[in-house]
Amino acid sequence: MNSIVKLWRTTTVRLTALFILIFIIFSVGLLGYVGFQTSIEIQRVQAREVNWEVRQLRNLDRRGSLRALIFAVQRLASQPGPGIYYLGNAAGEMIAGNFPDVPSDVLAHPGHYTFSYSPVEAFGRSQRSNRDNPRRSGARRDSDVVPPPPRQAQAVVTSERLDSGLRLVVGRDIVQRRDFTQIIVRTLAYGLGGIVIFSALAGLLTARRVLRRIDTINATTRVIMAGNMSERVPVTRRNDEFDELASGLNDMLDRIEQLMQGLKEVTDNVAHDLKTPLTRLRNRAEAALREGRSDEDHRKALESTIAESDQLIATFNALLLIARIEAGSRTNALSNVNISEVVADICELYGPVIEDAGGMLEEDVEPLIFANANRELLSQALVNLLENAIKYGLKSGNGAPEGPDDAERRTIRVGVRRRGERIHIFVADRGPGIPEADRKRVLERFVRLEKSRTEPGSGLGLSLVSAVARLHRGTFALEDNHPGTHAVISLPEPGEENG
Amino acid sequence: MKILLIEDDREAATYLMQALDQAGHVAHHASDGETGFAMASAMEYDVLIIDRMLPRRDGISIIESLRVEGNKTPVLILSALGEVEDRVTGLRSGGDDYLTKPYAFTELLARIEVLARRSTPSEAATSYQVGDLTLDRLSRQVTRAGEKISLQPREYRLLEYLMKYSGQVVTRTMLLENVWDYHFDPQTNVIDVHMSRLRAKIDRGQKKQLLQTIRGAGYMISE
Repeated sequence: MNSIVKLWRTTTVRLTALFILIFIIFSVGLLGYVGFQTSIEIQRVQAREVNWEVRQLRNLDRRGSLRALIFAVQRLASQPGPGIYYLGNAAGEMIAGNFPDVPSDVLAHPGHYTFSYSPVEAFGRSQRSNRDNPRRSGARRDSDVVPPPPRQAQAVVTSERLDSGLRLVVGRDIVQRRDFTQIIVRTLAYGLGGIVIFSALAGLLTARRVLRRIDTINATTRVIMAGNMSERVPVTRRNDEFDELASGLNDMLDRIEQLMQGLKEVTDNVAHDLKTPLTRLRNRAEAALREGRSDEDHRKALESTIAESDQLIATFNALLLIARIEAGSRTNALSNVNISEVVADICELYGPVIEDAGGMLEEDVEPLIFANANRELLSQALVNLLENAIKYGLKSGNGAPEGPDDAERRTIRVGVRRRGERIHIFVADRGPGIPEADRKRVLERFVRLEKSRTEPGSGLGLSLVSAVARLHRGTFALEDNHPGTHAVISLPEPGEENG
Repeated sequence: MKILLIEDDREAATYLMQALDQAGHVAHHASDGETGFAMASAMEYDVLIIDRMLPRRDGISIIESLRVEGNKTPVLILSALGEVEDRVTGLRSGGDDYLTKPYAFTELLARIEVLARRSTPSEAATSYQVGDLTLDRLSRQVTRAGEKISLQPREYRLLEYLMKYSGQVVTRTMLLENVWDYHFDPQTNVIDVHMSRLRAKIDRGQKKQLLQTIRGAGYMISE
């Protein structure tokens, strides 16, 4: 019962019901119209036949051949069908025909009549009883016409007084016309019944199929809500709209899982990488309180505490920034920005820094490259890459011999170029580079290849770059610069995006 | 300088009031938005320090109402929200500067001193003079003791900013924000590198060093 209620609630079943209803209304209308038109046509044909027969018989009478006339009437009367024939004399006796009980009124006045009679038998029309008021069509006698009782036959006849004084009545029993109407109604009923049953069946089957597909999706979502994030909606090979929905849902689930994974990572990282320096901070303060002999000692301890907390704040800010970028309020963050200018500005800011660090900055900026970007975030990403390049790229591999290509080795190339449909922003150094196996891992939060951690840094720099690239619908990759690191942020051309 | 601090965190407020007092300023304190707004509209202050999230009335709404009333007192907004959009909302409401928590007191002090100076006429001066160093804003020429010093465009803007607020400490963050228009803190001290280049151009070989590094705070240009 419950499943029937559920089935009724489905859109398919309701739509089917609605269509069936509309179909019935139209079919009834159409068949009614056809029936009406056909019956009018039949009436016309019969009237024409009757007229023709009357004319023929009258001609026979005119030729004075009574035998031929009687023979003709008898022949016509003996044919099966709705024909009504009466040929009688002025005294009211039937000479030939199949309808002896013609009302006397009809015989008395020539004209067209419609009257009811009670057929005694279904087939042979030899004996009929009448006694009903005939109605002369066109005459104003409608008021005194008693409507025919049910199960009575009706005749439409033409009454003629022939030249020879004989009375001729030719007509048609219109019961047959009614039969025809009945046939139409019956056809309509059967046809509609069949159609209704078949459509209902088809609707139910479709609805059940649809329901089954939706039930699997629902079942999957329930499993996921129960906590199993790895579950996915099954996709069939039919490639229909349900598969489209399913794969859309799966993509969404992938994204959610990814976000949740990210959140989990952040909490794990916060727990580990922020707790460690906090503990260190606390220990140091405690030690200073315990062991500090002079004001100078205390002062030093406090200064290092401040420096340490500043580092913590920086880490915390970077972490928050990455989280906010990844949560992705993309729309308001991006505007049309001259990327060439952004890169050139950062080069201008960092040129002296690189020189002071003993390196050389080579700018390779293609002018007037525009993209949907966030200047602030893109600049920060570039700064992170440049600081890495300075920190690790300019470091000579354990006192490498000074040589003619030393200048080349100390060059950091920064620039922006169009590469086909994409915009490449790159920072390349000639340092020791990053081993291929580590290039992906180093993008994760808090991953630092330098085990000793002597260089200051949070291990968040490249994670931020990666997040910024994703925010711009771009990618970030670390490549081999033979030797060195070639870091590339690849952005789509503004035309490729919508909005 | 007369300062109004609107801040609901009692401990932070106490610390700031003490520090401002030690720096030689007169500071009043309001601990919620309504009181703060009433005090700000009733009395003349040189600078308002307004926390963004306050009980009873938030900081942005206080600033907007003050500006509608025609009150032009410079406002420094304090906020834990450090995103660029948050900063833009803050400044658009009529705030003059934006400082993200947590901050160093030296940073706050430098900023409010510069803010208070903003309302003085020196803002529109066509040339700045510090000792024998002159910066002409019309011809964009810099001379020291009559001798022309050629500067890169960015170095010129750096010096212009320093001289505009001569005798006051400007922090590295302020320089990065106002001269380069970046609102993040790079790890290495890029500003120091640029300052040492600028110093080499204006102070090298001179008896009197005009450009001074203020330890733990920033830079200052003065006689």
